[in-house]
Amino acid sequence: MSPLIEIRDLRIRFHGDDGRITHAVDSVDLSVANGATLGLVGESGCGKSVTSLAIMGLLPKQTTEVTGAIRFDGFDLLKAADQTLRDLRGNRLAMIFQEPMTSLNPSFTIGDQIIETILRHRGGSRKSARERAIDLLRRVHIPSPERRIDEYPHKLSGGMRQRVMIAMALACDPQLLIADEPTTALDVTLQAQILELMRELKAASGAAIILITHDLGVVAEVCDEVAVMYAGEIVERAPVDELFSAPQHPYTVGLLGSIPRLDQRAEQLATIEGMVPNMAQPPAGCRFAARCPFVLEACTRAPPPLVDVSPGHVSRCIRAPLEILVS
Amino acid sequence: MLNFLARRLAQIVPTLFFVSVLIFSLQQLLPGDPALVMAGEERDPAVIEQIRHQYRLDQPVPVQYAYWIKGVLVGDFGESLRNKMPVRELIAQKLPVTLQLGAMAIIIAFLIGIPAGIVAAVKKGTAWDYGANFFALWGISTPNFWLGIMLIFLFSIELGWLPASGYVPLSEDWRASLAATIMPAFVLGNAIAAILMRHTRSAMLQVLESDYVRTARAKGLSERSVILKHAMRNALTPIITLGALELGTLLSGAVLTEQIFSIPGFGKLIVDAVFNRDYAVVQGVVLVTATVYITLNLIADIAYILVNPRLRG
Ligand SMILES: Nc1ncnc2c1ncn2[C@@H]1O[C@H](COP(=O)(O)OP(=O)(O)OP(=O)(O)O)[C@@H](O)[C@H]1O
Ligand code: SF4
Ligand SMILES: [Mg+2]
Repeated sequence: MSPLIEIRDLRIRFHGDDGRITHAVDSVDLSVANGATLGLVGESGCGKSVTSLAIMGLLPKQTTEVTGAIRFDGFDLLKAADQTLRDLRGNRLAMIFQEPMTSLNPSFTIGDQIIETILRHRGGSRKSARERAIDLLRRVHIPSPERRIDEYPHKLSGGMRQRVMIAMALACDPQLLIADEPTTALDVTLQAQILELMRELKAASGAAIILITHDLGVVAEVCDEVAVMYAGEIVERAPVDELFSAPQHPYTVGLLGSIPRLDQRAEQLATIEGMVPNMAQPPAGCRFAARCPFVLEACTRAPPPLVDVSPGHVSRCIRAPLEILVS
Repeated sequence: MLNFLARRLAQIVPTLFFVSVLIFSLQQLLPGDPALVMAGEERDPAVIEQIRHQYRLDQPVPVQYAYWIKGVLVGDFGESLRNKMPVRELIAQKLPVTLQLGAMAIIIAFLIGIPAGIVAAVKKGTAWDYGANFFALWGISTPNFWLGIMLIFLFSIELGWLPASGYVPLSEDWRASLAATIMPAFVLGNAIAAILMRHTRSAMLQVLESDYVRTARAKGLSERSVILKHAMRNALTPIITLGALELGTLLSGAVLTEQIFSIPGFGKLIVDAVFNRDYAVVQGVVLVTATVYITLNLIADIAYILVNPRLRG
């Protein structure tokens, strides 16, 4: 079966005002099957949000150069006409943003903002769209949705706003839902609630999900497959159990450093010594070399390729498999 | 909202009182003797004394003020020292002219400034943007009298399309009225258009970068709806207040512009009154101007609340 979305050799460059070029994403390959959940993890700035915005076609056109292919249901989103993309966005493709506090328009009620999406893609009467919007708010556990629907965003807390954003993303039953750190901006209890919600929705909707998170506990609970990004590249991709039990890239090993056990409550990514490379001038060899405990001379000479270490498990390290090194 | 309105209205009373005291006191500082002005050619001390007594000029200033304000409260501003016309009548005659001019100027300013600002922001860095910025610079730096004279030269003398001066009331013949006021209204409005354009541009640029505009795009809305609905609604909130405040500059701009185009409005009335030492007229006109200005500010505040759900409560 062909995957719902398949990203091939995605590269994203930002052209700065001063003529500097930032290589935000380099040769990223990803795919997600219908109904599957892919976790995307990595340090701040490694290109997770930029990758998702590229899928949505929401990167600023003037300053961004996107190459490669993003095939969604058979056709290439990067080559699609603007109108085609607009018909997909909010409909079959939806995204929950990292910034719940500022992602709702302060001048319109939350109802208006959800109804707008429904009317845009489903048409129908305003009344039925409103009923559906109330229904969606109920699904994301907003108390007394009949009343809340007419409220402006400033009346809602961060957690409530994120629920509204989720309701809005679900408005047209998307086939692919990208959730960009849906819980990071929220406090711990809310994180757990939103996560629970994501799990419910995953079970109920059958949508494919790309879940971006810093929280490896979340990955372990929700995802089927995990891709680890470092400095704009995928450094490891594996089924979730395998990634946790037998990580094959030194960076992943470092991330997992603080949470070897799956049965414990979520913890944040471990911090790893050293600095992320400057993406205006990426290093010639392995991008992780400066921080890697296993670095060899050969690592800095040429960029390591992604190699298969076992079926469905790839790593961008010339020393993989790592079993002997880690133990 | 109602609470706010009540508070604002309550503030207006002391403000106006203060303004009226100020107007009346400053008047005392002007050189010249009103009695002499009224006496005209007459130089007989007895007559002058009689005038002084009749108009209570021989009484202390606070008493004079009390009499004046008592009249003002019932709409009696006294009469012109020159032609004995009631000041109220003069104001009733001239104010609508200037209000029409001001309204047209602000409409012109909004019609030019806001679309130009939006286009400049959306097409940032293109010829459209540079064109709009050039226009703004031109609008801000062009003196009203020069622009007025150039317009008269081009449209009245060269092309003969519009009258160079004079005024026709709207109620009499609206076409002729618009023809007579379009040039002065443009002269008055173009600097405000330039200011509005600049603010609209920078507000739009900021809003277009915002997360909620990205959300609007993520819903699959058309670029038109993203810009004209989601972005503009937020960008224009502060612009409305700015526009209303700029109305104040219209009132002062009208003084010069009405002179250039010989329009018998408020501006001309006050200039003539000052030159003629027609104290009663000056007092009345300045007080009415202050009231108009305060009212405009109030309208601006209300408008700001109406378009801003966070303040509506
Ligand atoms: N519009 C832009 N113009 C220029 N550079 C950008 C732009 N957006 C992102 N970047 C750069 O691209 C890189 C990747 O950013 P991205 O937002 O994808 O990181 P992230 O992995 O989502 O991090 P976080 O976990 O903090 O959200 C960063 O170095 C960032 O500075
Ligand atoms: S290629 Fe070398 S430097 Fe890079 S992760 Fe592997 S061992 Fe470390
Ligand atoms: Mg991000």
